[in-house]
Amino acid sequence: MSSAHEASARATAVATLGETIPTDAEVTPLDGRRWGMVIDLDRCTGCQACVVACQAENNIAINEENRVLERRAKTWIRIERYWEGEFPNAKARFIPVLCQHCGNAPCETVCPVWATYHNPEGLNVQVYNRCIGTRFCANGCPYSVRYFNFWNPEWPEPLNNQLNPDVTVRTKGIIEKCTFCLQRINRARVTSKNEDREIADGEVQPACVQSCPTTALVFGDLNDPSTTASRLAESERRYTLLENFGTDPSVVYLKKVDPHVEIDHHHGHHAETAGKHA
Amino acid sequence: MQYLGALLPRITRLQALVIGLAVTPLLLGGAGVIALLLFLMASGGTVTGAPEQPIAFDHSVHAGEAAIPCQFCHRGVVTEASATIPSVQQCMFCHGVVATDRPQIQLLQAHWETNTPVDWTRVHRVPDHVRFVHAPHIQAGLDCATCHGDVASMSEVRQVRSLSMGDCQGCHRENSASLDCATCHK
Repeated sequence: MSSAHEASARATAVATLGETIPTDAEVTPLDGRRWGMVIDLDRCTGCQACVVACQAENNIAINEENRVLERRAKTWIRIERYWEGEFPNAKARFIPVLCQHCGNAPCETVCPVWATYHNPEGLNVQVYNRCIGTRFCANGCPYSVRYFNFWNPEWPEPLNNQLNPDVTVRTKGIIEKCTFCLQRINRARVTSKNEDREIADGEVQPACVQSCPTTALVFGDLNDPSTTASRLAESERRYTLLENFGTDPSVVYLKKVDPHVEIDHHHGHHAETAGKHA
Repeated sequence: MQYLGALLPRITRLQALVIGLAVTPLLLGGAGVIALLLFLMASGGTVTGAPEQPIAFDHSVHAGEAAIPCQFCHRGVVTEASATIPSVQQCMFCHGVVATDRPQIQLLQAHWETNTPVDWTRVHRVPDHVRFVHAPHIQAGLDCATCHGDVASMSEVRQVRSLSMGDCQGCHRENSASLDCATCHK
């Protein structure tokens, strides 16, 4: 989001509302952090603990069977499962997919009301009360991690009593998605400020990271070279999802590629042709 | 009256004047109503009167005459998100012996004896998609009265500021505090 589009939008806003719109320089930058996550696929067992933890932490409604069949289920983090090999020698591979908090996010440029924007700490933020539900962002997202609320969420007794008070219950007609547990980041910011110190490495743990039994998920500041996350992100096993789109994701995946594994040349050729046609 | 002439080409000057005089106040009135509605929408939060409380607790006696600091009762305010309403037990630290003969205090003692909380009516409330945290504001040296008004002189507490988004932002801009949406919106 830059240059001509932003300048003209700002000019319109200033003309309507007067000089009360802050410029980017006025929006206080916070220490040049970039929150990010490293997901070690060699550790992931596909147990779905992260998915459950996320549902509980972020007041996500329960996905009943027909919601899933309608493809309107909401899971801010999901485990994608891929099969490798034929039946007797089949192996399951798992990729947890959540909002990639792209540095160059396709969802941010298409929102007509600036309900989604990039904050100074590198988070892709969804402002629920601005959202008018055009769903342009969800269509623009190559990772399919933005979810539209087709209904007001409901919880059966007694689950309605366990809602997290730090997270808004999203109403019908707006888009929602992973926030990197923004409420936990904000809490750590307030706590560290009260104690007059910086946020320590590992102090902020989104619900998925906290619940991962194999510590496949690591969260931290990718701009600070001393954090565990940024050190892992330098690994030679690193890759990012759909790298060729140039979205600059803040989620880095680690996966060892075994050079001795037999490559299925027939299928490989097919994939290549499909790629060229697309 | 040009527009009437365009609409009704065969109208006389006198007829136009009469119709104009009749219609113009209606149009102006309509515009006025719309302007008022727009103003009410733009002004955001409403400043309401003091709600009735189950016990007529008087801040002007406690915070005013007795000059008890706000934090003595609202203990969470320095470290927590919420300033917190004191428990009945905390009222009873003093009112076990102070002014026990007054009817309002006897209401309080009834709560103490039956082990039930007082169902105070909330005065200040921000919308559900906003997370206001008291601690950093107090740590930054803001006086409680900045947002809550001169509570020490209020017999019944009422909201004095709109506490709308523009209200918060104005103060944040003056004090170079964060203007990022994610700081307050959850």
